[in-house]
Amino acid sequence: MWRWVRQQLGFDPPHQSDTRTIYIANRFPQYGHYTPQKFIDNRIISSKYTVWNFVPKNLFEQFRRVANFYFLIIFLVQLMIDTPTSPVTSGLPLFFVITVTAIKQGYEDWLRHISDNEVNGAPVYVVRSGGLVTTRSKNIRVGDIVRVAKNEIFPADLVLLSSDRLDGSCHVTTASLDGETNLKTHVAVPETAVLQTVANLDTLIAVVECQQPEADLYRFMGRMTITQQMEEIVRPLGPESLLLRGARLKNTKEIFGVAVYTGMETKMALNYKSKSQKRSAVEKSMNTFLIIYLIILISEAIISTILKYTWQAEEKWDEPWYNQKTEHQRNSSKILKFISDFLAFLVLYNFIIPISLYVTVELQKFLGSFFIGWDLDLYHEESDEKAQVNTSDLNEELGQVEYVFTDKTGTLTENEMQFRECSINGTKYQEINGRLVSEGPTPDSSDGNLSYLTSLAHLNNLSHLATSSSFRTSPENGTELIKEHDLFFKAVSLCHTVQISSVQTDSIGDGPWQSSFAPAQLEYYASSPDEKALVEAAARYKLLHILEFDPDRRRMSVIVQAPSGEKLLFVKGAESSILPECIGGEIEKTRIHVDEFALKGLRTLCMAYRQFTSKEYEEINRRLFEARTALQQREEKLAGVFQFIEKDLILLGATAVEDKLQDKVRETIEALRMAGIKVWVLTGDKHETAVSVSLSCGHFHRTMNILELLNQKSDSECAEKLGQLARRIREDHVIQHGLVVDGTSLSLALREHEKLFMDVCRNCSAVMCCRMAPLQKAKVIRLIKISPEKPITLAIGDGANDVSMIQEAHVGIGIMGKEGRQAARNSDYAIARFKFLSKLLFVHGHFYYIRIATLVQYFFYKNVCFITPQFLYQFYCLFSQQTLYDSVYLTLYNICFTSLPILIYSLLEQHIDPHVLQNKPTLYRDISKNRQLSMKTFLYWTILGFSHAFIFFFGSYFLIGKDTSLLGNGQMFGNWTFGTLVFTVMVITVTAKMALETHFWTWINHLVTWGSILFYFVFSLFYGGILWPFLSSQNMYFVFIQLLSSGSAWFAIILMVVTCLFLDIVKKVFDRQFHPTNIEKAQLTETNSSIKCLDSMCCFSEGETACASVGRMLERVIGRCSPSHVSRSWSASDPFYTNDRSILTLSTMDSSTC
Amino acid sequence: MKRKCQDYESRLPDNTAMKQQQLPAFRLQLSANEILSGFFAIGLFCLGMGIILLLSAKSIREVEINYTAKCATCAKLREDATNFDKECNCSISFYLPQKMEGNVYLYYKLYGFYQNLYRYILSRSNIQLVGTDVKDVRNCAPFKTSDNGLPIAPCGAIANSMFNDTIVLLYNFNSSTHIRVPMVRTETAWWTDKYVKFQNPTFQNLSSAFAGTAKPPNWPKPVYELDEKDPGNNGFVNDDFIVWMRTAAFPNFKKLYRRLHRIGNFTEGLPAGSYSFIINYNFPVGRFQGQKAVVLSTLTWSGGSSLFLALAYLVTGAVTLLASFSMMAVHLKLKERKTFFLQ
Repeated sequence: MWRWVRQQLGFDPPHQSDTRTIYIANRFPQYGHYTPQKFIDNRIISSKYTVWNFVPKNLFEQFRRVANFYFLIIFLVQLMIDTPTSPVTSGLPLFFVITVTAIKQGYEDWLRHISDNEVNGAPVYVVRSGGLVTTRSKNIRVGDIVRVAKNEIFPADLVLLSSDRLDGSCHVTTASLDGETNLKTHVAVPETAVLQTVANLDTLIAVVECQQPEADLYRFMGRMTITQQMEEIVRPLGPESLLLRGARLKNTKEIFGVAVYTGMETKMALNYKSKSQKRSAVEKSMNTFLIIYLIILISEAIISTILKYTWQAEEKWDEPWYNQKTEHQRNSSKILKFISDFLAFLVLYNFIIPISLYVTVELQKFLGSFFIGWDLDLYHEESDEKAQVNTSDLNEELGQVEYVFTDKTGTLTENEMQFRECSINGTKYQEINGRLVSEGPTPDSSDGNLSYLTSLAHLNNLSHLATSSSFRTSPENGTELIKEHDLFFKAVSLCHTVQISSVQTDSIGDGPWQSSFAPAQLEYYASSPDEKALVEAAARYKLLHILEFDPDRRRMSVIVQAPSGEKLLFVKGAESSILPECIGGEIEKTRIHVDEFALKGLRTLCMAYRQFTSKEYEEINRRLFEARTALQQREEKLAGVFQFIEKDLILLGATAVEDKLQDKVRETIEALRMAGIKVWVLTGDKHETAVSVSLSCGHFHRTMNILELLNQKSDSECAEKLGQLARRIREDHVIQHGLVVDGTSLSLALREHEKLFMDVCRNCSAVMCCRMAPLQKAKVIRLIKISPEKPITLAIGDGANDVSMIQEAHVGIGIMGKEGRQAARNSDYAIARFKFLSKLLFVHGHFYYIRIATLVQYFFYKNVCFITPQFLYQFYCLFSQQTLYDSVYLTLYNICFTSLPILIYSLLEQHIDPHVLQNKPTLYRDISKNRQLSMKTFLYWTILGFSHAFIFFFGSYFLIGKDTSLLGNGQMFGNWTFGTLVFTVMVITVTAKMALETHFWTWINHLVTWGSILFYFVFSLFYGGILWPFLSSQNMYFVFIQLLSSGSAWFAIILMVVTCLFLDIVKKVFDRQFHPTNIEKAQLTETNSSIKCLDSMCCFSEGETACASVGRMLERVIGRCSPSHVSRSWSASDPFYTNDRSILTLSTMDSSTC
Repeated sequence: MKRKCQDYESRLPDNTAMKQQQLPAFRLQLSANEILSGFFAIGLFCLGMGIILLLSAKSIREVEINYTAKCATCAKLREDATNFDKECNCSISFYLPQKMEGNVYLYYKLYGFYQNLYRYILSRSNIQLVGTDVKDVRNCAPFKTSDNGLPIAPCGAIANSMFNDTIVLLYNFNSSTHIRVPMVRTETAWWTDKYVKFQNPTFQNLSSAFAGTAKPPNWPKPVYELDEKDPGNNGFVNDDFIVWMRTAAFPNFKKLYRRLHRIGNFTEGLPAGSYSFIINYNFPVGRFQGQKAVVLSTLTWSGGSSLFLALAYLVTGAVTLLASFSMMAVHLKLKERKTFFLQ
């Protein structure tokens, strides 16, 4: 219990030591001094709340929000002091908002609980007291031996003890952790690998020592001390013996492992981090507006308080005979009274801060984000993927993007590799129709025809090259030449980490190569698509060592033993990492060829080899073993050894594969540019490759002046070059500039000359960064983000290497491509293809922005309208804090009478046809820089609100206040009737103003707009029609009905509504005539695309059957909609025309009268 | 492009109008013609309304006589609260040059009396007034109980400050004959107030119903003696009392006092001639520098003389027409380029 409390409070003591000692199967030493370490259990808790702490914790979270806290304060003030409005008026909306949010969060947490319970309650097999016990996942403790069967997910981080194979190896896939789909081989230490049964395992006495939990998935260091026959054997443990929670066992019947990290300490749980909260520009301006309104509120309260006391200085106003003070009021201290008066005014005017704004915005974002996932245009048929929304907080940010940072491979390109060319020993070959043909005359080689290599065609199509026949040499060729080619293809075929898994059989044989004759049933897993494309399954070679790929070395290598017994090292990698290490082979020619390939936009790889003498191999073997078993600084040591091995290479040649551009990339990039968005390509590729892809995808134009900042070695050099570039840009600013930077130059430029570099970048219309490391990508984005203009950035990428930039940018978009799901999972939005970006930004982004911007402005507007009359009324009641409206009206104004039209507007509004938006990307510029929420528009809306409030108030004042009888029978109205008149005019005007802003009138808009006004009338009639027994004040009894029975009141209402809207309409008309925006111009061009007003009320879509019947009834009653509408409705069987409006504008509908 | 729509395995989104944001909709797009004709129509409507209202306002006859200064002696007497039991009458004569046709209404009007003060409005007990519990005085501070601890009925500041001048109108037929103009008291309060919101506690005898309560301190007599002649007008259901209890919105207000009873000489309304008001001056206004007036007024179907409404309609109509003309000018000038006006 105590531990639980501590956990909940986060007081768990920090771990004392740097390592943890785990006694396998919890067999602690019987003697000796030892203190058991405490480990947490295997419970995964992704939920935030429990049943007990939900209420306090959720309330705490919610009241951390400024607006909620503000309303809480107001509520408490109302409870404490004698205030004009009852605490209900602010308590009820607050309660409503808090409840709605709590329900939403509670529901989400409940879902998390369910999934947690499912995970924690999953059955697992644990070896305990000599037998296999089934228990629940959450009961696993550190030190338990766990059995996992094939295709099961590991329930904790396990150190592999044994598998069903003799060598103690097993295969796992970590797709759910890092998105890599390849099979990874994990091996047990030999001493435990033989313990393949429960009984055997029971005899194991061993201790694992390892580091404390850390988040890095690929780092694990530890050692196992096994006591066998009174003898202690120490074995090193590395990442290859650690099975991570969340990974899945493949191709292995069962394994046994000992749990070392459990529950929230597993690497998976440590990597699970709640996504950093991204806040949109709209939300930021919303908060600014809130502060402005807070200032308005406080100044109004201060003015009222001061005026109250100036007024009361005269005794006749302070205490007239008819309104005497109570004893209590007379005796209370002056200062206390002053403060309580100020607070009372604060309470009176507090509605100027719209409480329901946040909840409406949240609802709008949540519901609105569904439209992205539902969009058929964002659905990709081949991959069966629709767009995915991971956060709804940033919808409107999609309409504000100024910079797009895109990855190249897999984002702009398909990430489908196709073998195109190769260069072997200085001769270039091209793949033509499945045959490799020497390209042009090759003076070096006496006979240039190498057509015998035919079966190498389509290297990505593995079944074609499944046999070793590709190496069958033709007898007529010279042996020397053959040898080089042979070696080249050996390098291609051996140097990889491709695993082939056979679906049919559980065993994989002793190597991946043998089962490859049954291609139909094979699954291929590779850590890189290049390798997958280049796999060659033919080897009688024994694999001795794999020197894995890492991004620092940019190469990988294998050491194999040929059938003849000689030991060979094959290396492949980026040309920049291979060529410097070469001492033999046609280096220069190959370099030229590689550059040629790159110019064509092909991805290149270089191959080299090295032959070891047996003595050399001995040393290598020893040093490798030492490095691999080192407990400290293993990585550094390994790197050293690799460096030692991969040198003195003999170059074999290079391969070139093509990565096809995705569909419509050029058009999309062109459209982005037209929309005023700067596109940067960030890629890890060579600069020639990158530039050529850039050119082919339209990122760079032929007409562009391409500036280069490459291979800078020192700071000063870099600065000088940057200065040069800046000068060149200044000199001719007529033509567009493109900039190419590489990773090393970039890091130099960013380190010292940020400002200069940013200057250059901002003036270039296209920027390409090549040879970029993942973190560099993120750094570039951060730089742009914090530059003085603070532009909104968007990052789009598909691979795990893009995650950092996706998370850094304002909006991160993941492409659901071939390189796993990690980018998509860490993104804010995920789409299947790059081309969908244009619809996502230009249509969805634009709509969301317009919707939310209007929503925010309108909310402030309607609350100014609401409260200003209240403020003005104080001038007529000696600042006595008398409210103008009844408490019920005060409470319901924001949550009932005026909430729905704006919510529906903010969900459905399309101020312009989506087609026009998509086809005219320039319209995107109209909303850039948060234009709809600029101070100017904000001021306009606020002034509009104030002027409307003045019209309501003074219109009603001159009508009623001039003591005329408004009733035909001479009776008079009181103060509550006056307030109700103001309120009625206000509800109608505010709703009509919304109607004026709505361009897109569906039946739902009609329903909520007219319905809101109708509801107000019906509610008021009902509310005023009864003496409510539980209310002490019967102020509103029959007030509304009396008001409506007065003809003058009706005339006044009509006049005031017309006057209010008149100003706005005239302004709109003249704005449109004299300074039309592009959007407004575009609205003019779309003609005949709308249906008649009444039709939009009548013609219901198929989904809303309930309403449809009402609608049809309405049609019959009105008798206006011709039967053709009724028959025409949307159905799934309709032929699908993407967004084609033509189906909506059938001629019969146009001709019908409204 | 052919799509499978019934494939449940696929993630293909539903092709419904709602989900594709393609609900059939009317695009609000107003052409110049629509806008201009709308504006002209509104302008003309407003002008027309304005003229009608102006004419009807003109047809109304209204006489207002401020008697604060004219009854200076009485006013002085009432300054001193100790003189509450001294009667003071004041007569004001005036001449009606034109007859007042139709129904004539008699109002009293107060200047500078704030019936809309927060504490004042709050200071009443609806439960008491509806007759449920005569002793409920919860919200009535500072007039909850009398000095001897009895609950006040009707309690509260509003009731305590009730207007208690009596106004009688005399028609001076000739210099010697004064006819009292017949006035009725009924229908001066809202029907619902009179019959639902205000009710006497149910007892055979009204005075016993109010047993155990005290009269408001400013009242000369208890509530059950307001009108001893008419039980339907006594106690809480007294018309003058109910009218007073409906608090006015602004410091200058008038309240309906009596209606002309159209019999005899007054079947047509008030004939032209000389009249005089006999006012029993009780209500003190000097202490808050207020003023009192009596108002005689005729009405139209839509109420009293609302010159403001008429003028507002006229101005709005004129401005709308002006705006439409200027818009038309702009439109004709730019016609070549623009076809649409708004949205």
